[in-house]
Amino acid sequence: MSNYALSLELPWVEKYRPHKLDDIVGNEETIERLKLIVQDGNVPHMIISGLPGIGKTTSIHCLAYELLGPELYQQATLELNASDERGIDVVRNKVKQFAQTKISLPPGRHKIIILDEADSMTPGAQQALRRTMEIYSNTTRFAFACNQSLKIIEPLQSRCAILRYNKLADDQVLARLLEITEAEKVQYNSEGLQALVFTAEGDMRQAINNLQSTVSGFGFVNDVNVFKIVDQPHPLVIKKILLSCTNAKNIDEAIDLLDTLWNKGYSAIDIVTLTFKVAKTLPGINESKRLDMIKEIGFVHMRVLEGVSTYLQLCGLFAKICDLA
Amino acid sequence: MEVTEVEPPKKPAKVAASPKKSEKEVVSPKKTPKTAASPKKTPKTTGSPKKAPKAAQPAGMTADDVLQNIPDAVLPEVDEDKKFNFFAKSKDESGASSMSIDIPEAQPNCLSGLTIVFTGVLPRLDRDASENLAKRYGAKVTKSISGKTSLVVIGDEAGPSKVKKIKQLGVKAIDEDGFIQLLRSMPMEGGDGDAAVKARLKREEEELKIIEQARQDEENERKQEEQRKIAQAKRLQEQERAQSQAASQGQASRQPPEQAKVVPNEDKLWTVRHAPKDVTQLCGNKGQIQKLKTWLTNWFDNSKRGFKDSGTDGAGFRACLISGPPGIGKTSAAHLVAKELGFDILEKNASDVRSKSLLNANIKSVLNNTSVMGFFNKEDSANAKSKTKFCLIMDEVDGMSSGDHGGAGALSAFCRITKMPMILICNDKSLPKMRTFDRVTFDLPFRRPSETEVKSRLMAIAFREKVKLDPTVIGQLVQATSNDMRQMINLLSTVSKTQKVIGADQAKSAASSWKKQTILKPFDITARLLNGQIYLPGSNHSLNDKIDLYFNDIDFAPLMIQENYLLTRPMNCKTGLEHLERVASAADDISQSDRVNSLIRSSEQQWSLLPFHGVLSSVSPSAAVAGNVSQRINFAGWLGQNSKAMKYQRILQELQYHTRLRTSTDKKELRLDYLSVLAKRLSNPILTRGEEGIEETINVMDYYYLTKEDWDSILDLGVGESRGELVAKKIPTKVKTAFTRKYNGGVHPTAIYKTGNSLASAAKKSSVDYEDVIEDDTNEKEEAEEEDSDKIDEKKDKLIKKKASKAKPKAKPRAKKAK
Repeated sequence: MSNYALSLELPWVEKYRPHKLDDIVGNEETIERLKLIVQDGNVPHMIISGLPGIGKTTSIHCLAYELLGPELYQQATLELNASDERGIDVVRNKVKQFAQTKISLPPGRHKIIILDEADSMTPGAQQALRRTMEIYSNTTRFAFACNQSLKIIEPLQSRCAILRYNKLADDQVLARLLEITEAEKVQYNSEGLQALVFTAEGDMRQAINNLQSTVSGFGFVNDVNVFKIVDQPHPLVIKKILLSCTNAKNIDEAIDLLDTLWNKGYSAIDIVTLTFKVAKTLPGINESKRLDMIKEIGFVHMRVLEGVSTYLQLCGLFAKICDLA
Repeated sequence: MEVTEVEPPKKPAKVAASPKKSEKEVVSPKKTPKTAASPKKTPKTTGSPKKAPKAAQPAGMTADDVLQNIPDAVLPEVDEDKKFNFFAKSKDESGASSMSIDIPEAQPNCLSGLTIVFTGVLPRLDRDASENLAKRYGAKVTKSISGKTSLVVIGDEAGPSKVKKIKQLGVKAIDEDGFIQLLRSMPMEGGDGDAAVKARLKREEEELKIIEQARQDEENERKQEEQRKIAQAKRLQEQERAQSQAASQGQASRQPPEQAKVVPNEDKLWTVRHAPKDVTQLCGNKGQIQKLKTWLTNWFDNSKRGFKDSGTDGAGFRACLISGPPGIGKTSAAHLVAKELGFDILEKNASDVRSKSLLNANIKSVLNNTSVMGFFNKEDSANAKSKTKFCLIMDEVDGMSSGDHGGAGALSAFCRITKMPMILICNDKSLPKMRTFDRVTFDLPFRRPSETEVKSRLMAIAFREKVKLDPTVIGQLVQATSNDMRQMINLLSTVSKTQKVIGADQAKSAASSWKKQTILKPFDITARLLNGQIYLPGSNHSLNDKIDLYFNDIDFAPLMIQENYLLTRPMNCKTGLEHLERVASAADDISQSDRVNSLIRSSEQQWSLLPFHGVLSSVSPSAAVAGNVSQRINFAGWLGQNSKAMKYQRILQELQYHTRLRTSTDKKELRLDYLSVLAKRLSNPILTRGEEGIEETINVMDYYYLTKEDWDSILDLGVGESRGELVAKKIPTKVKTAFTRKYNGGVHPTAIYKTGNSLASAAKKSSVDYEDVIEDDTNEKEEAEEEDSDKIDEKKDKLIKKKASKAKPKAKPRAKKAK
C-alpha cells in the first residue's frame, strides 16, 4: 500500500489523456471527420460543444498536434482558456497579433488558435473575433470548445462548423476504465466498475477521477466503495421507487426502498433532488401525469428546503405520487 | 388547367397576409395569362381556374388520379358549419388517434409538381415533420392557400378563414390518412401528369443552368489565375532586371517589396473560396443592394448639394446603415458595391479599438482625405482618377462594447460631418445603443435570403466541389441554419469531408447537430411554449426540452406566459367549461410559482428550486392551455403595472404622512376609508360651484395639511367614475388656473414632516428663505474668496457652480457658525 504515493504522482486523467485522435473514445463520426481533416489539412473554423468530460479539449489538442507535428505545435498554436485573461483587449492585441504573425508552415497547414471554454468569453470579446476570423482565415484557423454553444454569439456560430459531441456510451467508458485498471494493476470487481460507469453518466473524466480516488482511498474497487466516494443515493433505487408508485401502486414496496436509502444516512434533500431528476425522464408515463408528479416533488422540495426535512415528508411524497393516477 | 399547376419560380411570400392574397387572386384571372416561356416576371398570373372540372387526363398515373382515390370527406362538414370546434369534435369522435404513425417509404420525388398547404394540427404528425416529408418528396409547401395550391392537408382546428378559402377555391382537401395514402400510392417523379412533367423539366433545366454557371465561374477563375501568373512572371523578370542593374551600379538599392504569398485555392476555406466575386452573385436582398449602389453612386452629387435633398434613395444622408442577421452577405455586399464603383476601402471592425478618443484621433482626420491608391496603380490608369475616392466601412457597429467608451456617439457625430461615404454594418438595429444612428444614417435592412434564392448558389458550389447534393436537402439546410448562407457553406464543407453524396437521409441525421443554438427571445419562448404541437404524445420534445425553453430567459419566460396564457385556443378542448377549467389550473400553477419564486429570490436564495419554478411557472400552465395562439403575443405587462403600483404606494405614503395629524389610521385604511370621501370633498365644491367653491376646497386642504400636489394625487387615486383624468376634464381651465393662483397666493399650514427630495418643495423652501439667502450669499462669497484662491478656478466650472448655489441654503447654519 505504501508505494501508492510514488505511483500516483500524476492524476490519472492527465496520465491517460489521449495524444492521438485514434485513442479518443466515442463520437466516432466526428472523430473520423477530424482525422480526414488531419489528412487534408485545411482545418475549418470549428466549435466543439458538449457536456464536460467527453473529450472536447483533448480532441482539439490531438488535432492540432497531428496537424502541425511536435516542433511546430508549440510555435503555431495559441491556446487561451478561462484561466487566461481573455477580455476584449487580449482578443484585440494578443489574438490579433498572433493571427498576423508569419510562421512558415507546410502547405495546407494553418496556425491554430484554441479557445477553450469559449462560452465564458464575454460577448464583447467574441464580437472582436468576428472579422479577425475572416480576414486572417488564409493563415489562421480558430477552434472553440464550449459546454453550451448557445453562449457563443450567433455571428461566430455562423462562421464555424459546429461539431456536437454526445455523451459517451457506458461501454465506451467501461472499456477505457478497463484499460486503466490494467495499466495501474488495480484490483476490482465488476460491480465496482459498473457503479463507476453509472455515476459518471457518460463523463469520462469523472469516471477516471472516481476510479483513482476509490483506489487511493480503499485500494479495492467495488460498488460499496464507489458509492462511498461518490456519496449519492443510487438513482436506480429512486427509479424503482417511482415505478412502484406509478405502475404497481405498491406504496409498501416504495417505502421499503425508501427505508434502505434513509437508513444509509442520505438526507431528505439528496433524495428529493434526485427524485426530481429521475422523474423528469422516467419512462412510460404520459406528459400531464409527469407534470403532476413533478409538481408534488417540487412542493416537497420546497418544504424540505424550508427546514422540514423529515422522513414523513418523503413518505407523504411517495404516497401522493401513488395517489395521482 | 394543368398549366396552372406548374411551379411558379417564386414562392408566394410566406408572410403575406391571407386577405391580401385573396385580393390578388380575384384580380389575376382578368389578366391575360402569359405563356409559360416567361413565367419569371409574372409569378402570380395563375388564377383560380381550379374550379374547372378535372377533365382531360393524360395516360398513366397522375397526381389527380391518385388524389381522386383519396376521400375528401372532411370538407363538407366544415362547409355546413364553419365553427372549427364542431369540426374538431367530430374528428375526435371518429377515431381515437394512435400514438405513433408509420410513414411509408414513398417513391423519390413522388410529390413533384404539387403545391401543398398544411393547416391545423395533424393528429399524429408534427407540423414540421409533415412539411419536411412533403418537401423531401419534391412537393412545394406553402403557408397560405391560393389558386396554385394543388391540395390542402387539413388537421384539427384548421383556421376558419382557411377552410373558407378551401371552399371558395375548390381546392382538394385531404386529412392526415389521405396524405399517408398519397405518399404510398404516388408513382415516382410525380407520375405522368402534366404538372409533374413540367415540374420535372423545370428542375432539370434549373440544374443544367446551375452547372453551366458553375462551369463559367470555374473558367473565369482559371483565366484570372493565368493572368495573375503571367503578371507575376513579368514582375519577377522586372525585379531581376532591376536587381541586376542595381548590382551592376554597385548601389545598395532598396529591396523590392516581397510579393505577398499567394495562398492556393485548395487551402482556403470554402467561404473564402466561394465568396461572391461580384454583386450579381450575392444571394437575396437585390433591392437593398441596388439602393446601396445608387446611394453610393450619387454620393458625391448629393455632397455638392450639401445633402439637402430628402429623396427616397437616401440622398439626404452621408452614411448608411446595413443591418441584418449574420451570414447573409452584409459585409460582402458593402465591399463588393464599393469595389465595383471604384472606391478604395478603409475598414474598421470590432477587432479594432474604437473608443471615442481613438476614433477622434484616427478616423476623424481621415474623413476628409482622398485616397492615393489611384496614383500608384499605374496598370489601369483609366481608373486612376476614380481610385482617389474612398469609403469607410465600419463593421460590427453593435459590437462596440465596454472597451469602446463613447465610440457609438462619436461615430454618429462623424456621420453628420463626413466628407467621405460611410457604410456602417450591424446585426441588430433595435438595440438601445444603436438608437443614436437612427436619424443620421440611411437605413438599409437586409433580410435572410429565401430558400429559392440560396438554392442555385449552393448547387453551384456543390458542383464545383464535386459533391453530389440533393436539391431537397437545401430546404433542411436552410431551416437548420435559419437562412444563414455562410453557415450553410461551412456545413457543406465539413460534411463533404466524409460524404461525397449528400442525400435526404444523411441530411436528416445531421440536421439536428447543424442547428445553431442561440438564446431565444422572450417572444419566441412564449410562442413555442404555448404552441400545442410540442405537447402532443407523438412529439419528440421531452420535458427537459421544455424546461430548457424556460432557461433561455428565466426572468421573462414566466412573466410572458402569465401575460399570454389567456390568448390561446386550447387543443382538444370541447366545451367552454373545459377551457375555463384549464385556465383555472394554469392560473393556479402560476400563483403557486410565485411562492417558489419568492424562495429563490428572497434572502434564502434557494436556486436549486429553479427547475421546479420553470415547470410551475412556464411549462405546466402552458401545457394546460397550449393550442393555437390566435392573437399577437403581448409583452409582459407586469413590469409597467408593477412600477405604477410602486408609484401609488409612494404617493399614498406621502398622503398618510401629511394627513396624520387629522386622521388616525395607516396607509391601507387611509386608502380604503378616507380617500374616496376626501376626493369628493376636494373636488365637488369646484365642480358644482366653479370659482366660488375654491375657498371651501382650500379650507378642506388646509384642515388636512394637504398641499396642491396632494390634491392632484388624491384625484389620481380615484377609480371608475371618479378617475383622475375624468374629474380633471370636468373642471374648466379657467377655474383650475384660478384655483392654482389662489392657493399659491395664500399661506398654508404644513405638517412637520416633509418628504425628502421632491423638487417643488425645495423650490418653495428657497423662496421662503429668499432674503436670508441673499445675505448669506454675499457673506459666503467673500469668505470663499478669502479662503482659497483655488476655489475661484473651480467656480468657472459649471457643475461646481451649480452645486455651490444649491448648497447655499443648507450652508446657512454653518456660515453663521463660522461668523
